[in-house]
Amino acid sequence: MPDPAAVFAIETHGLSKHFGRHTAVDGVTMRVPAGAIAGFIGPNGAGKTTTIRLLLGLVRPDAGSATVLGHSLTEFERYLPSVGALVEAPAFYPGLSGRTNLEVLARLGGHPGSRVSELLEVVGLSDRARDRVGTYSLGMKQRLGVAMALLPDPELLILDEPANGLDPLGIIEMREMLRRLAGQRKTILLSSHLLGELEQLTDWLIMLNQGKALFCGPARELFAQRVEVVVEAQDAVQLDLVARIAGEAGYAVTREDQVLRIACSAGFAETLNQQAKEAGAPDLTFRVREASLEQLFLALLRGDRS
Amino acid sequence: MISVIRAFRSELLKFRRWSVLAVAGVMLVASTFIAYLTFHQIASGATGREMTGLIAAFPTPQGLVSIIGQARSLIIAIALVMVTANLAAEWSQGTLRNLLVCEPRRLRWLAGKMLALVLFVLLSMLLTLLMSGTFILAVAQGQGIQTAAWTSPEGLQVFLAFLGNEVLCLIGVSALGMLIAVLTRSVAAGVGIALAYILVVEGIIAVVLPQVTQWFPGRVFNTIVGTAVPMVGPTPPQGYPAALGAALLWIVGFVVVSAVVFPRQDIKA
Repeated sequence: MPDPAAVFAIETHGLSKHFGRHTAVDGVTMRVPAGAIAGFIGPNGAGKTTTIRLLLGLVRPDAGSATVLGHSLTEFERYLPSVGALVEAPAFYPGLSGRTNLEVLARLGGHPGSRVSELLEVVGLSDRARDRVGTYSLGMKQRLGVAMALLPDPELLILDEPANGLDPLGIIEMREMLRRLAGQRKTILLSSHLLGELEQLTDWLIMLNQGKALFCGPARELFAQRVEVVVEAQDAVQLDLVARIAGEAGYAVTREDQVLRIACSAGFAETLNQQAKEAGAPDLTFRVREASLEQLFLALLRGDRS
Repeated sequence: MISVIRAFRSELLKFRRWSVLAVAGVMLVASTFIAYLTFHQIASGATGREMTGLIAAFPTPQGLVSIIGQARSLIIAIALVMVTANLAAEWSQGTLRNLLVCEPRRLRWLAGKMLALVLFVLLSMLLTLLMSGTFILAVAQGQGIQTAAWTSPEGLQVFLAFLGNEVLCLIGVSALGMLIAVLTRSVAAGVGIALAYILVVEGIIAVVLPQVTQWFPGRVFNTIVGTAVPMVGPTPPQGYPAALGAALLWIVGFVVVSAVVFPRQDIKA
């Protein structure tokens, strides 16, 4: 049973994992509060899946420590019964039906057979439950993977790209299901490249790049840190001047005709306006908007790389 | 213990796959066919150096077992491939990560799975021997050949001694398959290495170092069965008790190495 006093469902300190000379996870320190939907983002090869495998006891850390649901990473047999997971692409026995695939795991985990029917209904696969998984589309396999993760009625749900292969309707259904689960006080760690989806769903964010954590905290804190400044001008020279000032300050600038979009800190927006006027670019229109997660992600990545 | 039983029951569901059932079917049909060919050659009066022993054993209580035991090498090869491929596929297919999240105590899962796999292999072998034996008996009686010695108490005793040693042989082969699967973590590599070892490597070494290879696992598992019925395989040069002891030591060794390696592996598949 998880420790009820645990404030953080997941807490890692300096977690590292090397495969030969390649460092997959490099001293990651992160936390996920109990009951949160945490978005786990990063480019391919950032170390997300390895971190998930570390949390699930599938690979062993080379350094660092972690607790999951109040138990140390070394005691994975104590917390894993309360964890549901979908890691990478869903893997099933293609020669068995969807129902039998779930029954294999239900028997192994000691879950009642009735749970299988219930979950097939939840993920909308009841009609195809008796068909071989080999005949399923990627989206159907993904739904079956989510059903598999939900088998133990988990306290903590770890989903790696659950929307992969889903059609727009499937993505909306997945979003609603995750919201329902979060409403039941379940903690969800959601790895996804669909940043727009994460923006709508998550209240906590963890960004990884090259095995390192770039950000871990409340999503609103990240959004407050960064804004998008939209600068408009008829004069291209003035726009060039603004782009140069922003670029020299280390911020990413995107240009579209007579508009510049700059993802930067909230404090820099005012400074930019001031510096542009002082440098001889008075005819500018400045608008400050909340940056999208995609812009924040790119800005953090560029900052990290520089 | 409960978790081992859960793993065992979970594994039983996977035997519903046609590919698994086909393995048992191939074992049954091919073994019966080989037994029939052997019977037909003897019954039709074929001669030859390799037939002399079989013809001599034909009317004795060892007659039936000598005929149905001719497919032993095939049964061993199929059992080895079946266990290696089935276990290694959990890595190759990526299903191992699902299983180990459900049952993180890896050795208990492995014990349950191997229990089910060995049981499947042994039941397939038993069914094969019973079906091919019944078939040969029916054909022999249809041709008016005297089979009383085969079904006599002495004949039954020979069959049970053969069966007991064959069970031990297949348990050993399954343990070897488990070790190869755990070490290779790939169906293609696992099956390739298993077949190459049992069919080629031991044979080549035997030509150079026959004194050494008599203790190798493939030879030991094979020769203990030959003790009960010499016509179904070579007899152990080192004597039955020594060969039996070596077979048991190999099985324990395979299990211990697998039990040490598997819990320490990173599951990256």
